Amino acid sequence: MRTWKRNLLAVPILLWIGLLVGIPMLLVVALSFLSRDHLGNIVYQFTLDNWRKVVDPIYLRVFWNSLLMALLTALITLLVGYPVAYITSNLSPRRRALSLGLIMLPFWISSLLRTYGWMILLGNAGVINNVLMALGLIERPLPMMYKFGTSLVGTAYMLLPFMIVAVFNSVDKLDRSLLEASYDLGASRWKTFFHITIPLTLPGIVGGFTLVFIPALGLYFVSDLLGGGNTVFLGNLIHTLATRGRNRPLAAAFSLGMVALALMVLAFYWKVTKDKTGEGLFQ
Amino acid sequence: MKQPLLALVNLNKYYGDVHVLKDITFTINEGEFLTLLGPSGCGKTTLLRCIAGLERIQSGDILLEGASIKDLAPNKRNVNTVFQNYALFPHLNVYDNIAYGPRMKRSVREAELKQRVAEVLDLVQMSGYEERMPHQLSGGQRQRIAIARALINEPAILLLDEPLGALDLKLRKHMQTELARLQRKTGTTFVYVTHDQEEALNMSDRIVVIDQGEVQQLGTPRDIYNNPANLFVTSFIGDRNIFPVEVLETGAEQAKVRLGENVVQVRSSAAGRAALRAKEEAVLAILMDKMRVSCAEMDNALRGEVVSIHYAGSQIRIEVRVADRILTVVEYQKMECDCQVGDAVFVSWEESGAVLLPMEAGWEERGM
Repeated sequence: MRTWKRNLLAVPILLWIGLLVGIPMLLVVALSFLSRDHLGNIVYQFTLDNWRKVVDPIYLRVFWNSLLMALLTALITLLVGYPVAYITSNLSPRRRALSLGLIMLPFWISSLLRTYGWMILLGNAGVINNVLMALGLIERPLPMMYKFGTSLVGTAYMLLPFMIVAVFNSVDKLDRSLLEASYDLGASRWKTFFHITIPLTLPGIVGGFTLVFIPALGLYFVSDLLGGGNTVFLGNLIHTLATRGRNRPLAAAFSLGMVALALMVLAFYWKVTKDKTGEGLFQ
Repeated sequence: MKQPLLALVNLNKYYGDVHVLKDITFTINEGEFLTLLGPSGCGKTTLLRCIAGLERIQSGDILLEGASIKDLAPNKRNVNTVFQNYALFPHLNVYDNIAYGPRMKRSVREAELKQRVAEVLDLVQMSGYEERMPHQLSGGQRQRIAIARALINEPAILLLDEPLGALDLKLRKHMQTELARLQRKTGTTFVYVTHDQEEALNMSDRIVVIDQGEVQQLGTPRDIYNNPANLFVTSFIGDRNIFPVEVLETGAEQAKVRLGENVVQVRSSAAGRAALRAKEEAVLAILMDKMRVSCAEMDNALRGEVVSIHYAGSQIRIEVRVADRILTVVEYQKMECDCQVGDAVFVSWEESGAVLLPMEAGWEERGM
């Protein structure tokens, strides 16, 4: 009786999600099994061709590129973001607010503009090359644009705040007396960091990893602008197929492939945060 | 003379402009149970943290077995702390919590470690709890594990920061006996911080009374209770009537004082003897439970009028107005005289229960 009433309260949100997420998702699934004519119009004829292409070894390379990009992005943001989050949480309340404000500040500027900013910085006639040449350190511009690494830097930069905020929430909750207890028991700062700080902030690390990994799979405009299309990622492929390629059914199939990748990461996240160590942390 | 285990020498500590520890100097002997007693904010916990190395000191020195440890990191000092909130590692089970210290210092092999953990668990009567997680334990059990985790390192000194503060009254009483037993059994030197005078008086070999960052008195519980050195100690330890009197005559051990119409002989404190002068004001402090109310007139007593009588279980609290002061008398047995509110009575006391102290500015605020 009571659970029945409580479930009733969830109806509006379920309707909302069903309408705006569930139905479009089903449409994408349906689309991935349809054909198209030579102009790109959808033909309502069942086919498995799209899915055959998704598992084709040639396209698996694209999945691999995206997976590598997302993994490396998550790793880089973690290595950069963890110290930032840790230092921020140890600041005085005023400085902490300032620091968090600065971390959030880039969100006020269009991400597209910020990506162009990187082009100005890294281009052959860009700021960095100009400065280095003016100083006489190099004779010819260093080619920094249109590489895998360029996309990686741009994506990591774009998603860094998500990692910082996720880790910050965890680090901020960390009971500092536990660190003192660890020093007191004879552990050095490094040992304390590895044995106490890291395990106790694991939820933040895994949460940040998920928050960065999933968008990194699909941030196509960064690799378009900074990578110049030299490495094909899932996002770019789907974007090209759906627009210039006029092949929406195939784009739908690849989209679902990307969803599958994201679900794998989510499954990992659920597993880590629900296991024995997680229980103690989330009590 | 034997070297003290720990010596604090003119230790000073500031937080910004606030002088939180002022010229702290005293020594701790091996194997003793020493309590730092004072009201909250007096600096007792800060002093403990300075010994542990969790706070730096600005001047002075801390000598452990004769060697300065003031510049050593906490992990390099042979002392261990039992924290107020226990600070058990939530992601480690009881066994791993206790094994943490030896593992970090790589002082013993795993096989031997197992033996040692079993020993300390037995010591704190928690055998069989190795696999439990901290959140599965009660407050008292966490307390025991925190003590075991510190003791396994065999520290020269065990520092305890209000370890019983979070426990309920009954458990607190039980843990007091338990801690005293542990201290005797292991022979470890305990430095115990508390604001609870009863805890301090019960367990300690010696007590250091601290207020406003200064040592007020250092002595055995008995000494501090019976011979408080100053007004702060007088008011902080024991329930006393504290009121000003006029000094008429001073002698070697005693002084003659006046309160209103009454003239009585009282014992003067060690500090009082040197500072008391005839014709000046002083402060008389008398333990409430060392006082008696009699109906018949007697020597060396204050004449007053009963204002109220409260029966509170085993004790009877009688308020008596003497001159313009209200004094509280606590009697445990049946009262000598069956007085009623409004009756004229005589208040006397055991000589050891009263102490005469020199007047201090602001005594009334400090006195209660």
